[in-house]
Amino acid sequence: MTDLAQDRLRLAVAAVMAAAALLWWATAGFFGHELIAQVAIFAIFAMSLDLLVGTAGMVSLGHAAFFGAGAYATAGLTVLLGWPAWLALPASMVVAGLLAVVVGAFAVRLAGVFFIMITLAIGEMVHAYLFRSRTFGGDDGLGGIPRPDLGALGLTLDDPSHFSLAVLTLALLVYLGLRQVVGSPFGQVLAGIHRNEARMRALGCPVRHYKLAAFTLAGAIAGLAGSLAAQHNNFISPELVTWTTSGEALIVVIVGGMGTLVGPVAGAAAVILAGHYLSGLTEYWMFFMGLMFVAVVLIAGDGLQGALERLARRFGRAAG
Amino acid sequence: MLLDPTFLAIQFLNGLQLASLLFLLAVGLSVVFGLMGFINLAHGTLYMIGAYIGLSVARSTGSFWLALVAAPVAVALLGMVFHVVLLRHMQAASPMKQVLVTFGLIFVGLDSVRYIWGNYSHGIDLPAVLAGGVSVLGETYPIYRLFIIGLGLAVLAALHWGLERTRLGALVRAGVDDRETAAALGIDVGLAFFAVFCLGCALAGLAGVVAAPVLSVYPGMDMSVLILTLIVVVIGGPGSLKGAALGALVIGMAQTFGQVLVPALASVMIYAVMAAVLLARPGGLVRARHG
Amino acid sequence: MRILFGLALALIAGLPAPAGAGDPIRIGVVLPFSGVYAALGGDITDGMMLAFETFGDTVAGRRIELIREDSEVKPSVGLTKTKKLVYQDQVDLLVGPVASNVAGAMRDFVHNAEIPLIVPNAGNNLLTGERCSPWVIRTSFSNDQINRGMGGWLFDKGYRSLYLLAADYAAGHQMMAAVKRSFTAAGGAIVGEEYPPLRETKDFAPYLAKIKAAKPDAMYVFFAGGPAIQFVKQVHDFGLKKEIALTGAGWLTSPLFLPAEGAAAVGFTGALNYVPSIDSDENRQFQNAFQEKHGRVGSEFTVQGYDTARLIVEALEITGGATDDKAALVAAMHQVSFTGPRGPLRIDPATNNVIQDIYVFETRQVGYAVKQVVIDKMEAVQDPPNGCRMEVGRG
Repeated sequence: MTDLAQDRLRLAVAAVMAAAALLWWATAGFFGHELIAQVAIFAIFAMSLDLLVGTAGMVSLGHAAFFGAGAYATAGLTVLLGWPAWLALPASMVVAGLLAVVVGAFAVRLAGVFFIMITLAIGEMVHAYLFRSRTFGGDDGLGGIPRPDLGALGLTLDDPSHFSLAVLTLALLVYLGLRQVVGSPFGQVLAGIHRNEARMRALGCPVRHYKLAAFTLAGAIAGLAGSLAAQHNNFISPELVTWTTSGEALIVVIVGGMGTLVGPVAGAAAVILAGHYLSGLTEYWMFFMGLMFVAVVLIAGDGLQGALERLARRFGRAAG
Repeated sequence: MLLDPTFLAIQFLNGLQLASLLFLLAVGLSVVFGLMGFINLAHGTLYMIGAYIGLSVARSTGSFWLALVAAPVAVALLGMVFHVVLLRHMQAASPMKQVLVTFGLIFVGLDSVRYIWGNYSHGIDLPAVLAGGVSVLGETYPIYRLFIIGLGLAVLAALHWGLERTRLGALVRAGVDDRETAAALGIDVGLAFFAVFCLGCALAGLAGVVAAPVLSVYPGMDMSVLILTLIVVVIGGPGSLKGAALGALVIGMAQTFGQVLVPALASVMIYAVMAAVLLARPGGLVRARHG
Repeated sequence: MRILFGLALALIAGLPAPAGAGDPIRIGVVLPFSGVYAALGGDITDGMMLAFETFGDTVAGRRIELIREDSEVKPSVGLTKTKKLVYQDQVDLLVGPVASNVAGAMRDFVHNAEIPLIVPNAGNNLLTGERCSPWVIRTSFSNDQINRGMGGWLFDKGYRSLYLLAADYAAGHQMMAAVKRSFTAAGGAIVGEEYPPLRETKDFAPYLAKIKAAKPDAMYVFFAGGPAIQFVKQVHDFGLKKEIALTGAGWLTSPLFLPAEGAAAVGFTGALNYVPSIDSDENRQFQNAFQEKHGRVGSEFTVQGYDTARLIVEALEITGGATDDKAALVAAMHQVSFTGPRGPLRIDPATNNVIQDIYVFETRQVGYAVKQVVIDKMEAVQDPPNGCRMEVGRG
């Protein structure tokens, strides 16, 4: 399968998923809309991590720090400072992006398992700070976070159906935006660094600058997801910032297929929905979740999207 | 009070005891990682299973000593089965696939333990010889903690001997040094990996049963050590026995003295230490790989 | 926001016909059933099931139906499951959660949705204080309620200096604050306090050496779960109890942890809303029935579940099985009062927190078993309003 064919397949999968999401949205009840919003928010978070992990090869176990930064910035700006929510949303992305610049300046000096562990360490330090912070409610968290008032556009975001549609739209925009980024010269350089960092450096490429830029962009988009999560739950707590949240996002990316952007979206849907329904069936649902992860690697190999692309290749060969 | 020599001596022993446990946990993980680049996130699960098997053995036979032997053996067997069934096929896989599989095994392990042993916490009683305390500079210090320190040192010595003086040790050293060259020279790195992996499982199981009388046995004890163990591996420098020992010592002491001297930073101390070490020495304290 | 919520609920309430005599009464239960805290969710649920067997699972021809959801002890998950129970399953009332941070996430939603939530554990003072709600009723305890009396009690027993030690999170700080206030008011001195990190701490030895050096008359501690067992064993190993009395919030030697702690727990003096050795017919009947069914001692968590279910059954009997008028249902809960395993019990309409006896007990070796033996009792302990103002319809 050529690169072009692969790209078309991904776009087609994205289109099918968007259509499926819209169909689900149109037929869903109140709780269905809640689930749609949850999946879409986590999909945004996972796509931002995929830019790091899949495209640039930077495996972070501290990405929740930026998700949390976005959520806490939204809570702080709206609840504590009284900003309107529509303004807090972009401001939260800036806050998360700035935090990513600072963290990234240290982290991009390391690679491989050392990069994983330093992002974990910084993430846990952010968690420890928020857990003890009186301003942000400590481990009790903070409630009463409003959603933007988009009455002028005829939207009432407090209605789950309007909110989920808005989040779905944002997820689609993030996907299209990140697709552009990955396909751009900037994205090509990141992919080159992923393939062979030493070679890129020998070619005179300022590798660290590129890595820092990717880290910052991914952080800002994670901040967007965090801000949306805060608005969705009307509540924040340090749980959002634990390393297990980062771990879940990483799992979602791997399950869906690294470096494919659409894969992590499918992964978010699969993992969240499987968890939701399995936990209603048995108290040992984590057992089956664990088996599912093992099965994905054994059967699908490179995640759901990776398996689809392999199938397409095989089919293509057979047809050709 | 804080500069009182007795107080400091007691805290030093506490740090040493924690370091000893962490060393048992980290050394297998570290060498396996150094040898094959294999990341086993389910290492904490092996520790938990070791503790539970030790619990069952101690309960049914009434002998802690038997538990101390049976748990590592049982966990090593379990590791062997997993290696043959699953991990053998994963060695060549990308690290991210290994992460996903071993993460899945964490879930499977936790629920299996809950299913077999239930949701409640358990304790293991010590034999009379290890119970009670001795006087250290006029303060009571539990004998069992000294036993843990001694055990850690004994394992360190045994591993050092094994690595320097045995054929398997030579294979492992060659494999960690330069995997490709070793393989080209006809050294079966896969076999060395298998042996080290099983030994690492046994040591994790041993750590579980050793920790049980002090830290108790409960579902979730796996996650309580996973991160700490990974930190020790990374700080020490993966693939090195010396590194695992040094990393365990640094984290044991940082954790213990951090809690006493700067309580406000207790929860971030080990992370701050790791970040500082990695920024100063990006490959960990001890560099194992020369190639 | 409120209007919308009302609208949303009117819509979903409008779809099915109003609950008739034959429809089941649906109770949504949000508790941890997986992972590390599964034991607590299990104990509370077992207690509830026993109460429905004992006091009836059918009121006015309507069967009581439980729909269980796993909170995973995560606030966001607890909230999602709550929304599922309300929107999709259309439950009549909710029971949960165990952890206070999950309760914090659920609180605003149930407040705005005006669905009664009966809390069978989470003890955060704010939940029946500043952040109280007419729709949030607590049958368990507040952190303040358990510990408030112990400062004065310890001072009366001759203790003059206290060292405080608790896990570093809201519950730990609230419990220590309660003791600190009453102990210093009585004239005692706090000679030190430490708050070890909640999850990271496994070895308490560094803190124990520090406490030993401070030479207090007693230490007052709060730990639960794994840390409780670790702490008890380590205090015992270091021989600390010979010099310093071990006192604290009673969960330290809960029946859940006592089998693992064994003889190391002997000598602890604690305060709690229930211990299995309470000498009353109601408690004996409860323990006999529970032990026969489950083969283990009913814990304070079990009793909280048991009393929660009984409160629900008795309130439903007052409303004649009607659940559509939530305000009437809550009002009925305010009218209920009974003597359960832990003694006389009722809900304080001013805060919606339970009014109950608090027991002071000592953990002793009794024959071959280690038991919590009641040595004193504080009757009908009632929380002050703590900033609670019940206003219907304010977020």
